[in-house]
Amino acid sequence: MSDHGSGPRAFADPVADITDMFAFPSPQRPGTLVLVLDVFPFAGMSALFSDAVDYRFRVRPATLAPEQDRPAFAVSEKEYAFSCRFAAPVEHDGGQLVQEGSCTGPAGQVARFLVNDEHGGQAHGLRAFAGVRMDPFFFDGRKALETIVTRKLAFAAQGSSVMFRQNVLSIVIELDVTTTFGTGDGPLFAIAAETVTTGSVKVRLERYGRAEIKNLLLLTKDFDTVNRDIELRDLYNQEDAFRLGPAYSSAYRARMNANLAFWDGLDGKTDWPPAADGTHPLTEFLLADFMVVDVSKPHAEDSYLEIERTLLRGVPHQTCGGRSLNDDAVDTFLTFLINGGHGARISDGVDQGTVPASRMFPYLAAPEPNPPAPKAPPIVAR
Amino acid sequence: MTRQSHAAAPADDAAGGKLPLTAGVIAMTNLQAQIDGRQRQIMAGQQEAADDQAELIELVALRGEILSRISDYEWAGERAEQLTRDVPADGIAFITRARARGRFHRFTDALADLDRAQRLGADPAVVGAERASVFQALGYYDAAFTLYEASTRPADPDYLGVLATLHAERGETTVAEQLFDQSQDRYRGVSPIPLALLDLRRGLMWLTQGDLCRARAWFDAAVHRLPALAPAQGRRAEVEAALRHPEAAITRLRPLTTSSDDPRYAASLARILRETGKVHEAAEWRDKAAKRYDELAARHPEAFADHAAEFRLHADSSRVRLPGELPARP
Repeated sequence: MSDHGSGPRAFADPVADITDMFAFPSPQRPGTLVLVLDVFPFAGMSALFSDAVDYRFRVRPATLAPEQDRPAFAVSEKEYAFSCRFAAPVEHDGGQLVQEGSCTGPAGQVARFLVNDEHGGQAHGLRAFAGVRMDPFFFDGRKALETIVTRKLAFAAQGSSVMFRQNVLSIVIELDVTTTFGTGDGPLFAIAAETVTTGSVKVRLERYGRAEIKNLLLLTKDFDTVNRDIELRDLYNQEDAFRLGPAYSSAYRARMNANLAFWDGLDGKTDWPPAADGTHPLTEFLLADFMVVDVSKPHAEDSYLEIERTLLRGVPHQTCGGRSLNDDAVDTFLTFLINGGHGARISDGVDQGTVPASRMFPYLAAPEPNPPAPKAPPIVAR
Repeated sequence: MTRQSHAAAPADDAAGGKLPLTAGVIAMTNLQAQIDGRQRQIMAGQQEAADDQAELIELVALRGEILSRISDYEWAGERAEQLTRDVPADGIAFITRARARGRFHRFTDALADLDRAQRLGADPAVVGAERASVFQALGYYDAAFTLYEASTRPADPDYLGVLATLHAERGETTVAEQLFDQSQDRYRGVSPIPLALLDLRRGLMWLTQGDLCRARAWFDAAVHRLPALAPAQGRRAEVEAALRHPEAAITRLRPLTTSSDDPRYAASLARILRETGKVHEAAEWRDKAAKRYDELAARHPEAFADHAAEFRLHADSSRVRLPGELPARP
């Protein structure tokens, strides 16, 4: 699942467990960039944000660097940060807990809001919402697991998403591109999301760049011939998205080389031939784990990884890249890994979320308030 | 004999902490939100694996531990029984039932479940740690220590906390203090729940040693992190009573008699009221506690028969038990 439960620490405390990030130009207002950060998988309606966590977006200007040995993005040291923090809730009449939040933009502007207020808050080119929404992610995670276990593509024509009618805690930011970035930076930006402790000692709890990096490419140990018993995801989550530390980088590379080769081989052919030392051609590219969006392009619903894929092919990109809420990002990613775009699109059999996202702020569908009627299925063994 | 040390109050250091923690009210709200979400997920038929059922059971049991809600433990026990019927070939079901049985002191049954889980191929490290916790509860500390060592990573804060509790129960307070500190220092989360439970166990250690001031400071630390932590509130009240502050103890106990279905709080309140001369109200609470103890002793004799008998023994005594005499259950 995109980044749901991406490590033991995430399982221990879902309030800091990033499940997804989205970045896309507004479908209604050109010149507006939308950033979405979701946490707390399978949240009940009463879920609240932690007052000890800084929920952050980090946005850096980026350029294409196709002329190097390996095509890559050149990411600036300059950073625009958006920091969302929350207070301890206050009990109102009737016992309802009301939580206040704020989003501080790079120029110091602060948008204040009440959690679950769909109008959100605004301040100088910045609008922010936070609250419980329906999880926009969709993926047949069980069939992905079956694929790993059986080592054969197990997806069915009609899949079943584990996230169907489930909720998350979501943060949605709209920012005016010109007000925020001026005219000197862009149009390409590299974006990462983080959950970091507040206070004087900062600990990065989770980070997110692209979907399924941790759960599809770092979780499985079976194919890793170097570290077969180490859970790497907590370590990876603590890394700076824009500057991978040297301590564990060899471990990440070994795990990714092994798992990328596994996914590539599922169609019976090798689309990504490894180097003589076993290095997979996508390992370094994906270890630069951030989302790239072109703010000069219009909104699109199927643009995930388009900038990355065209960079690798050496042709200009046509779309905004990034990732919109209704984009079938998993199919795109699976196709990219398995056949490199040289064959039919690989599908997990799930093509949309429970309720498609809207084109209006705060975009994500309203949460599912009541548990669905029980199907009363038998519980099956793993 | 009780000792009253004047050591630096740990509450300030502990509650100040190096890393910020989520407010207790948020942590409890989110625990409930996790339970609601997992129930929704299971009801929707989206997650049908035994792991997910087990997770829901453990979340409800954790709520029971925090709020002193025996009904949560009972629910967890019933669901665990059902899980073993639904997935009899899955080791996780028997590990879950072993935990549930352990909560009601059915230790022999719990060990049998762990043996079965092992035969079904459950992770040996998980089974070993669970077996160790049963041995610890039975007072077989050396066996528990050996099993913990074999099944857990030494640097893990949870492991350090378990070791600290083991040493604490053996009365080895110096080593226990060091391990409690290390466990807290290595904690890298923001949930206050693990640390509050650690503070509670640290307070219990000093209570057992008769050091009321240290015990009070750690119960305060636990309550500061997680005000809903009923066992810490209850123990804090009993320390206040022992330190001759009965009104403060009564104020602290009253809400627990309604938020919790564990009769220990009604029993404590009855004793303290009686000591302060409020005989009629004390009798009402004593009767309520007696009735509940009888119910629980009938349903869970291994866990409650001793407590019920002890309650009967002391119910009519005006003497407030000193902390060193308190039963071992947190």
